[in-house]
Amino acid sequence: MAAVRPARRPRRSAVPLLRFLLLGFFLLFVLWPLYWMFNTSVKPSDDYLAMPPVWFPDAPTLVHYWAAMFTYRGLEGLINSLIVSLSATALSALLGTLMAYSLARYNTGGQHLSFWVLSQRFLPPIGIILPVFLIYRQIGLYDTHIGLIIAYTVFTLPVSVWMMFAYFRGMPRSMEEAALVDGCTRWEAFWRVAVPLAAPGIVAAAVFAFIACWTEFFFALLLTSRTAFTLPTVFRAFVGFQGAQYGEAAALAIVSLVPSIALGILAQKHLVRGLTLGAVRG
Amino acid sequence: MQKAGTIIHMAAAGAPHRLSRFADWADRNFRWLLVAPAVLLILALSVYPLLFSLVVSFINYDFQVPGHAFVGLKNFSMVVFDPVARWSLLLTAILSGVSVAIEFVLGLAVALIMVRSFPGRGLIMSILIVPLFISPVIVGQAWTLLLQRPFGPTNYILGALLGREVTIGWLTESPWLYISLIVADVWQWTPFMFVILLAGLTSIPPNLYEAAELDGVNAWQAFWAITVPHLAPMMLLALTFRLLDAIRMFDTIFIMTGGGPGTSTYTASFYLYTVGFTQFHLSQATAGSWLFLIFTALVVTLLVRRLLKPETT
Repeated sequence: MAAVRPARRPRRSAVPLLRFLLLGFFLLFVLWPLYWMFNTSVKPSDDYLAMPPVWFPDAPTLVHYWAAMFTYRGLEGLINSLIVSLSATALSALLGTLMAYSLARYNTGGQHLSFWVLSQRFLPPIGIILPVFLIYRQIGLYDTHIGLIIAYTVFTLPVSVWMMFAYFRGMPRSMEEAALVDGCTRWEAFWRVAVPLAAPGIVAAAVFAFIACWTEFFFALLLTSRTAFTLPTVFRAFVGFQGAQYGEAAALAIVSLVPSIALGILAQKHLVRGLTLGAVRG
Repeated sequence: MQKAGTIIHMAAAGAPHRLSRFADWADRNFRWLLVAPAVLLILALSVYPLLFSLVVSFINYDFQVPGHAFVGLKNFSMVVFDPVARWSLLLTAILSGVSVAIEFVLGLAVALIMVRSFPGRGLIMSILIVPLFISPVIVGQAWTLLLQRPFGPTNYILGALLGREVTIGWLTESPWLYISLIVADVWQWTPFMFVILLAGLTSIPPNLYEAAELDGVNAWQAFWAITVPHLAPMMLLALTFRLLDAIRMFDTIFIMTGGGPGTSTYTASFYLYTVGFTQFHLSQATAGSWLFLIFTALVVTLLVRRLLKPETT
């Protein structure tokens, strides 16, 4: 996303027009479901089945937001999502940075250890969820915040480790070496020299960990029920119903997508590194 | 900086004997101490459950059948000979294959357009990446709102465009519900392809195209001679990453069709979820998930390791 190739010599043909048509259609395709969801969330229930559909509601209402937050316990889900996502993000960024530094500077465990961590990223969650569910039931972590925080920390660790691994490898060693020559311990060289220098990378890794936790559904669906349920699992309430809950579902969706989209757009320039686990520098 | 470092070191040297011995030990094993917390956590919540489920898949662990007797390969054969399991595996392959192929072509086309600079490019960029930050559950919900009869406006719009009444049950009728699931997946993940391929395109040196143009090569030939070979590693990476995520497809199905009607939209993940969590045949589900794991592990070791290797040396 960094360098943009300068526009080349324009040619007289239909190709540029086709390009912008395709881009236009694609933009419409991306924006249309978002618009319709927003439209549904502020539309009075009487307009739902109107024919033709109501494209712009005359009297927008916030009643669905109110119902989604309180009747459907969306507010509780929101608070739980914040608690779980923020804690798991902090843990994942901390443990990921520790491990990545060791991998990058001391080549700990060689390629085997780093690829073992990477392979966790591609493990289908269905493969571990059953035993985790049984273990959680047994040790009392089922439907607790701590249980979900631990699960999310493990599930985001591969990305945190690999993003920071790439970041540390791209950082010169000279400052840390100078600190060691000056008599710092290795811990001090890491904590007081390397970590402050790597702060932008840590923030980027944390943002992607947060988005991953915030949008996660599968673990939350199976490891929580009435106490620690997160925002995405509240959508269970709307599955299979015919009729009145469209507005509530849409309102809940709008509330839930604002934080992750805002963070994602802020961290846009790190996006390529985030999606490829640091393998590609964007 | 230098002075502070020296003072810290001297303070450490002057500390009580036992403390300095611990500090020495910690300093010598520093690299292992750093990896320990993350490794222990992954061992506890990923490796241990995997081993646990391996044991469970060879015994009877079923909320409907008491006892934990060793049953050999019975759980595996129950999965292998279950027609629903075979169907779900086939559907997973078809849905993920078709979705990823469409995402790839569309993502490449958009990346080729976006690689040039034009006014408004930054804003369009920010809009195009939005689906990546949305929970798949919400993506499923958004498309349900658009498609579900009678509320969704899709049939009305199609009817207006085609000039006749359209009454498609997008989430209940056979080929359409597969198309709906694919559209939702394409909507969310085309930006993934696009972002990675765009990064690859911008890293191709522009002078290659200039030289080609001087030689009288047309744009189509330049695409096959320059763009494709240079972009190939990035294409492979994007396809592999996407495919490994696509075969887990669960969330949108849970919201949009609930696996139905009947078992017609069961993917591998949805099948295993149903067997394990709604029928409580836990040992059969773990056996199935091990088969699924072995399949993914093969892909990961064969492809991903090779893809990421050059960057780690």
